[in-house]
Amino acid sequence: MTPIASRVMRGLAVSAAVLAVFALLDGAVHALLAQNPFGAPRAAEPQGGLVGWLLAKQSEFYREISQTIRAAKSDGSAVWTLLAISFAYGIFHAAGPGHGKAVISSYMVANRETARRGIVLSFASALMQSVVAVLIVGICAWLLNATAKTMCGAEKAIEIASYALIAAFGARLVWVKGGGFFRALQMPRPALAMAGAHQHDHDHRDHGHDHHHRHAHDDHEHHHDHGHDHGHDAQHVHDEHCGHSHGPTPAELAGPGGWRRGLGAILTVGIRPCSGAILVLVFALAQGLFWAGIAATFVMGLGTAITVAAIALVAVSARGVAERLSAARDGGGMVIMRGLEFAAAGLVLLFGLGLLFGYVAAERATCL
Amino acid sequence: MRPSLNRLIGWLVLAVSVVLCTAAAEAHPHVWIVAKSELIYAPDGTITGVRHAWTFDDMFSTYALQGIETKVKGAYSREELAPLAQTNVESLKEYAYFTFAKGDGKKQKFTEPVDYFLEYKDSALTLHFTLPVKTPFKARQLSLEVFDPTYFIDFQYTEKEPVKLVGAAANCKMQFERPNSDGTAAAQKLGEQTFLDGGNGNFGMMFANKVSVECP
Repeated sequence: MTPIASRVMRGLAVSAAVLAVFALLDGAVHALLAQNPFGAPRAAEPQGGLVGWLLAKQSEFYREISQTIRAAKSDGSAVWTLLAISFAYGIFHAAGPGHGKAVISSYMVANRETARRGIVLSFASALMQSVVAVLIVGICAWLLNATAKTMCGAEKAIEIASYALIAAFGARLVWVKGGGFFRALQMPRPALAMAGAHQHDHDHRDHGHDHHHRHAHDDHEHHHDHGHDHGHDAQHVHDEHCGHSHGPTPAELAGPGGWRRGLGAILTVGIRPCSGAILVLVFALAQGLFWAGIAATFVMGLGTAITVAAIALVAVSARGVAERLSAARDGGGMVIMRGLEFAAAGLVLLFGLGLLFGYVAAERATCL
Repeated sequence: MRPSLNRLIGWLVLAVSVVLCTAAAEAHPHVWIVAKSELIYAPDGTITGVRHAWTFDDMFSTYALQGIETKVKGAYSREELAPLAQTNVESLKEYAYFTFAKGDGKKQKFTEPVDYFLEYKDSALTLHFTLPVKTPFKARQLSLEVFDPTYFIDFQYTEKEPVKLVGAAANCKMQFERPNSDGTAAAQKLGEQTFLDGGNGNFGMMFANKVSVECP
C-alpha cells in the first residue's frame, strides 16, 4: 500500500470506529426518531422478531415482579424468584433510556478511562440509582404517606436536576477536552513519520492561569513505532462539584484521588432512579413487603450495572482501537484522538441540553 | 496494520450488535392499559368525541392509589378517587391523551376531557373519560389511533368489543387493527408511511391500535 492509500484507509477505519462509538452513545436519542440527529428514522428499518422477543421478555419479567410480590405475601420462598426475575429484568431493562449508558460511555471516551474504571463507574452509579429509588419511596410513601402525585413531583424535580447535571458535567468535559484538542491542533505535526522512527514531542506551553482556575501543564507525547501511545496529560481542574480533577495517568488510577474523579459521573448518572424500581417499591410497600421491594431494587440495579458496564467496555475498546490505528504512524493521530475526546465531551453536553429542553426523550417519571 | 484492521472490524460488529439490541430494547412499557373505546356520533353523522375506558395494570394501580385515604380499607369510592382522576386527565393532556384522530386525512384536535372518573375493581383502576372533538366533523374516512409514541405505556384493547360506534349511521363500516405483537409487519408498514409522512414516524407507532371507519 502506498503511504497515501494507507493513510486514507486508516482515516476510514478511524472514522468507522468513531461512528461506532457515536452510534453507541446515542442511546436514548433514538427514542425520538423524528428528531434523531443521526440520520434517517430508525423505525423505518425492518426489524426482526428479536425486537418483539426482547420487548416481550422485559414485559414478562416486569409483570412477573408484581405477581411474585403478591405470592411472597403467603409464601416466603417466592422472594427468591422475585430476586431472580428482578436481576434478569435489570439486565434487559438497562438497555433502555435513562440508565446512564450514554453519559458513562461518552465519559469513558472523553476522559481516556480504563475498562476497570468503566466497570466501577457503572456499578457505583447503578448502586446510587437504587439507593435514590429506595430513599424516594422510603421517605415519600413510607414515612410521609404522600400521594403518587407528590412522589411524581419529586421524581420530576430530580429528573430536571439530573439533566442539568449531565449538561454541567458535559460542559466541564468540553472545557477540559477542548483545551487538549486545540493544543493538539496547534502542535507541529511531524512531517516524516516513518516506521521505526521515535518521536518525542515535548510541548511546554499553556501555563495559562485564567479565572476558570485551570492549570494546564505540559503534554508529553511519545510515539513509538508499534503504535503505542503514551499520553501524559496532567490537568488540574478546580470545580465546585467535583473538587480536584486530574487527567488520568496509570499511577493516578490506583490512587485514592483517582476514584474521586469519577464521582461526577456517578452523581450525574446515579441521581436519577429508574421509574420501574419506584413502581416496584411502592407496590411492595402496599403489599406490606417493603423489604422485598428494596432487595429487588438492589438486585435490579446489579443487573443494570452489568449491561451498562458491558456497553461502557465496548466504548472503551472502540476508543482503544481508534487510538492504536491513529497513533500507528502519523502525528495526525493525536489530533484525531483529542478531537474524538472533544466530540465525546460535546456529546455529553448536547445530550444534557437536549434532555433539559425536551429534544431528547428519556424514560419519563410515572406521572399520570 | 492488518491485524488491527481485523480487530477493528471485530469490534465494529460487536458494537453494531450491541446498538441493535439496545435500540430494540430501549423503549418498553412500565404501564399497561387494557382499553375500550367508543366513537360518538351526533344524529347528523358528525363525530363529536371519543369515550375511553382504560384499565391500568395492578402495579400501576397500586402506585396511583398510594397515599389516598379511604373510609373503608381497600375500597375506593368514586368520590375518594375524584382528585386522582383529575390528576390523571390533567397529566394526559401533555401526551395528547394518546389519542390521534384523522378525518379524511386531516388531523383532528381534542379539547379537555369531560365526564371523567375512576373506578376501582379487582385491584385495578379504570379511568373513564370522554374526549370531545374540538370541532365536530363529518368524514367519509375516519382513522383513530391509540398509542404512546414513547411506548412507556402499552395499550391493549379488550378481546370483546374493543371499539364501538355510538350513534353512527348503519352503513358505516368499522375496522380494528391490533398492533402486531413482534412489531415486524407494523414496522414495515411504518416504513412506507414514514416516507409518505416525511419522517413523522416514531417508535411507539409500531404499537398503535388502529381504528378506521368508513361512512359512504
